[in-house]
Amino acid sequence: MSILHTRRQLLRSALALTGGLALAARSARAQTVAADDYKALVCVFLVGGHDGHNLVVPLEAQAYAEYRRLRGPLALPDGSAGLLPVSTGAGTPYGLNSGLGAIAPLWASRQLAVMANLGPLAAPTTRAQIVAGTATLPSNLYSHSDQIQLAQAGNAHGGGGTGWGARCVDAVLALNGSARFPAAVSVAGNALYTTGAQVASASLLPGFDLGMDGLNVWPASAAQARATALAQILALDSGVRLIQAANTVRRDALTLNGLLRSASAGVVNTAFPGTELGQQLRQVARVMALRGSTGLQRQVFFCQLGGFDTHSNQGWTHWDLLRQLGEALAAFQAATVELGLAARVTTFTQSEFGRTLQPSGSGSDHGWGNHQLLMGAAVRGGEVWGRFPFPALGGPDDAGNRGALIPSTPLEVFGATLGRWFGADAAALAAAFPNLGAFAPQDLGFMAPG
Amino acid sequence: MVSDAWSQQLTVYSSGQVTVGTSRQLTAYVPISPNTVVWSVNGVPGGNAVLGTVSATGLYRAPALIPAPNRVTVAAASTARPGAVGSVQLEVTQIQPRLWSISPATVSPGPFTLTLNGASFAAPVEVRLGGVPLPTTRVSSTRLVATGTLANLPAGQQLPVQVWATGPGAIGSDVIRLNVAAPAPAPSPSPSPAPAPSPAPAPGPAPAPAPAPVPAPAPAPAPAPAPGPGQGTANLPAGRFLEQAAFGGTPAELARLRSLGIDGWLAEQFAMPETAIANPGGQASGAVQAQYLSRLTTAPDQLRQRMAYALAQLLVISMNKNIYPDEVVPWLQLLSRHAFGNYRTLLGDVVVSAQMGKYLDLANSNKPGGLSAANENLARELLQLFSIGLVQLNTDGSPRLDAAGRPLPAYDQTTVQQVALALTGWTYAGSGNNNWENFSGPLVPRDANHDGREKRFLGCTLLAGQSPALDMAQTLDCVFRHPNVGPFVALRLIRQLVKSNPSGAYVQRVAAVFDNNGSGVRGDLRAVLRAVLLDSEARSDAGGADAGRLKDPIQHVAMVVRAFGGRINPGNQLAWEFSRMGQRPLAPPSVFGFYSPLFRLPQSVFNTVVVAPEFQIYTPTEAVLRGNFLWRLLSSPGADVVLDWSPLVALAAANSDPSTLIDRVDQTLLYGRMTAAMRQSLATAIAVQPDASQRAATALYLTLLSGQHAVQH
Repeated sequence: MSILHTRRQLLRSALALTGGLALAARSARAQTVAADDYKALVCVFLVGGHDGHNLVVPLEAQAYAEYRRLRGPLALPDGSAGLLPVSTGAGTPYGLNSGLGAIAPLWASRQLAVMANLGPLAAPTTRAQIVAGTATLPSNLYSHSDQIQLAQAGNAHGGGGTGWGARCVDAVLALNGSARFPAAVSVAGNALYTTGAQVASASLLPGFDLGMDGLNVWPASAAQARATALAQILALDSGVRLIQAANTVRRDALTLNGLLRSASAGVVNTAFPGTELGQQLRQVARVMALRGSTGLQRQVFFCQLGGFDTHSNQGWTHWDLLRQLGEALAAFQAATVELGLAARVTTFTQSEFGRTLQPSGSGSDHGWGNHQLLMGAAVRGGEVWGRFPFPALGGPDDAGNRGALIPSTPLEVFGATLGRWFGADAAALAAAFPNLGAFAPQDLGFMAPG
Repeated sequence: MVSDAWSQQLTVYSSGQVTVGTSRQLTAYVPISPNTVVWSVNGVPGGNAVLGTVSATGLYRAPALIPAPNRVTVAAASTARPGAVGSVQLEVTQIQPRLWSISPATVSPGPFTLTLNGASFAAPVEVRLGGVPLPTTRVSSTRLVATGTLANLPAGQQLPVQVWATGPGAIGSDVIRLNVAAPAPAPSPSPSPAPAPSPAPAPGPAPAPAPAPVPAPAPAPAPAPAPGPGQGTANLPAGRFLEQAAFGGTPAELARLRSLGIDGWLAEQFAMPETAIANPGGQASGAVQAQYLSRLTTAPDQLRQRMAYALAQLLVISMNKNIYPDEVVPWLQLLSRHAFGNYRTLLGDVVVSAQMGKYLDLANSNKPGGLSAANENLARELLQLFSIGLVQLNTDGSPRLDAAGRPLPAYDQTTVQQVALALTGWTYAGSGNNNWENFSGPLVPRDANHDGREKRFLGCTLLAGQSPALDMAQTLDCVFRHPNVGPFVALRLIRQLVKSNPSGAYVQRVAAVFDNNGSGVRGDLRAVLRAVLLDSEARSDAGGADAGRLKDPIQHVAMVVRAFGGRINPGNQLAWEFSRMGQRPLAPPSVFGFYSPLFRLPQSVFNTVVVAPEFQIYTPTEAVLRGNFLWRLLSSPGADVVLDWSPLVALAAANSDPSTLIDRVDQTLLYGRMTAAMRQSLATAIAVQPDASQRAATALYLTLLSGQHAVQH
């Protein structure tokens, strides 16, 4: 008996105690479900506060001149990054940071779009209200930790304890039938974004199937006895909440391990870059390839790329981060084509905040509203969605005097637009985004119907 | 004439018990200059062989024999002010007996015989059940047998069992609880080979009062669901304490703590010389991480190590950005030096350090000019993460709410901008006004780059035209005085050291000590640390639903190797392993540290708010990686660690009673709290393992994976 065979056996026995029966039922059910009903949302979070001012630059003459003047030493093109010219359906010219070279062709094939000046809002907000002190503002603007929480919670105060990605699955839970796990997956550590009211967050490390080394022992009976005892110990109720929570984490790990090992599927041939984000997105593609085993029809994923807190030395650093982003996204897009899911997977960037238009030295400071990328065959690409602000300090879109943008599109409406594509009806969207009613319109139109 | 006020202000720490032949470091606080004192015992300068001696630095050595009376007064008299005296009362005791286990753990009403195992059972000695002495036979210094007759008590009740060294300087052991079972229906055969005939009366113990029925003491705290195992044993109080105040206990540290008592151990730790933190210099960044991990497991000044570790999660610098030794080691040295100092001093030194100057961009943050504004990075984190926090706090750490129930913000963006302006004009050491990186000393002020305008924030006004240094000092003073700082720092230290979900009252008690250490001093970290560790909520061994905190990966691994008397070696290559577990040593992903002190479990888990900071880096993936790493330490530790668990293998020979092995694992890792159900699961798995090594490994590994062990509680 091979070691591999032995390990599978003992894992099966472990799973029988932790939910393996449910898994078997899912596998049986999965064969009867039409594969092309699948949909997934993939969030790529740019940690540190991404400088959207240098992601996409207005090239209309007057706007560009102001951008150039106000950005000073950070203005593009410079020695670090150039601008790739694109234009919208209406012919308005923009330049994408040349770091995005790998995905720039998707603009022409209308699978890549920009969502302009997106951010958290408590209510529609104007500069006049802010100056007059009458605006209701989101909590703790400009603070990394809080704005990460707001961006992932999907509201203006960061509370509620759940993330809007997982709430999008909560909103269409019936479509997943009895399959529940792992419907919200982070490949970048635990994330609020994938924590739902009903859906639990699952975390996966690229290339790691959660095998437990200490359960691998000869003979098989000894291994099985360890696995059985472990399952029993993890099920004991100590009466101490944190102990139970720690045991739950390990039980979930056993379940995930079974999923990742049991599938002969999960093969993705597309080559991914060896970068951190590249490997995260490869893991996402692998989990998508397992959908026949999990039976899941709706999944959300969370990836993360750090390093965007560019207070200094921004030029080359920013270009290089966008190069990593572009190359990883291009590979992922190719993988969705390989899996037959190009129109079933929508990928987008988020970040805790934008940055000031005005530089401080060789970097920029914390801002608010920000430009984001949208990618996928279901996206109405080749467009800049929302209202792109005219570059100005102290202008109508400035929350202060340094070019920190007042968002013109609220995060909730962005989320609801994706949630509608996901299959959520109006009532479910209102539950997922409780403050949606404060805004109009409630669909931004960037997703193709269906 | 010397006023009473002077003598009242000279304080000596601290009263307590001292075992014969051991020593106790005393500390005198002398607010008089010069602050030298003369020590005496019962009025004898320096003491003597009968009363015990006291050194010029306050180290009291108890005599070899119990003095009569056994209570002595050790006094410190000021040399500057005759009559200014502080003193403590020390009770010289016999060596404390240690009680490890009793057998059987459960008895029925009627006659019984108890066998007690432990250490330091010296004659005269007696066993007390519910406070009542039992006829006791001293078999050896590690074994006693006691007999008695149990009154007809309700099943499920528990009676305390204690061993007492009697006579002058009497002292009792820790307590183990005996469970009362239902009356035996018939003379059933005893399941264990309990010696039915009581041992012959041995010489030694005085004829005790007739084995009277034991009276029922006060009702047991709670009927134990699982009688017998799981209740904790003699090591529990010391083991719990060292998980909070140290990186867990080595066997030697446990013994030291039990010998000195908590007060004595704290006094010894506060007085202990600081372990030097070497700077390997150059580009030896890996050596900084490796030596750091090693130091946590080997430094004798464990309390300082644990406190500096907690402060490093509060005043964060990361090797993600400060990659070279010069950019991080001086910061570690500051945290260590000020670990028992004053928070204001620590804050001031950290903020102007070149290391923080780089990490949060204070270095070369200049007054606004042209297209550039003052850098707000340090200003924001100083307020948000180092001192005040974003919302106004009540004294118990809870947010203050407005009429609509929303938290009241503590300050706004204007405050951040004003503080940023106040802190302009600092650069690295050098000759110019904007110097290149230089980590040889703190940042230096440059008037030319300082914003000289008036600044107003948090109710403070900084006058126009002040120097960078004066603006810096007044800014930090203003921030430090904010009423949030006490509860803010208290809550963070409690979450780092003791528990994730403290009661508001606990936070309030610690915050009050931060506000005033009893001598009118604000921010005294030594007093705050004592308040955190000595609070009844920290010391209660009873647990409860809100108990404990998840050990982070470094703490968890350090506690495992120390539990076996091992260490992480200074040349280890473990940084990568820890980074996979979400904790690359000294390199948290951001200024928010490895895990947010505000992180919560999903609401759906317990349907209530459960704060669980360390769970932010404990998802299924990190949990398995941690388990695999612990397995690696057991199976192939290599040169990275010293972890000798072979004594367990010796207990796991073929045909041996698995309970012996399980007992040892339970004592070492769970301090006797392993439940009967868990013992049963382990025993079943052990029985199938092929050899002694695998039997021992099974017991150890599965215990390490349990939530019981992962959570410090």
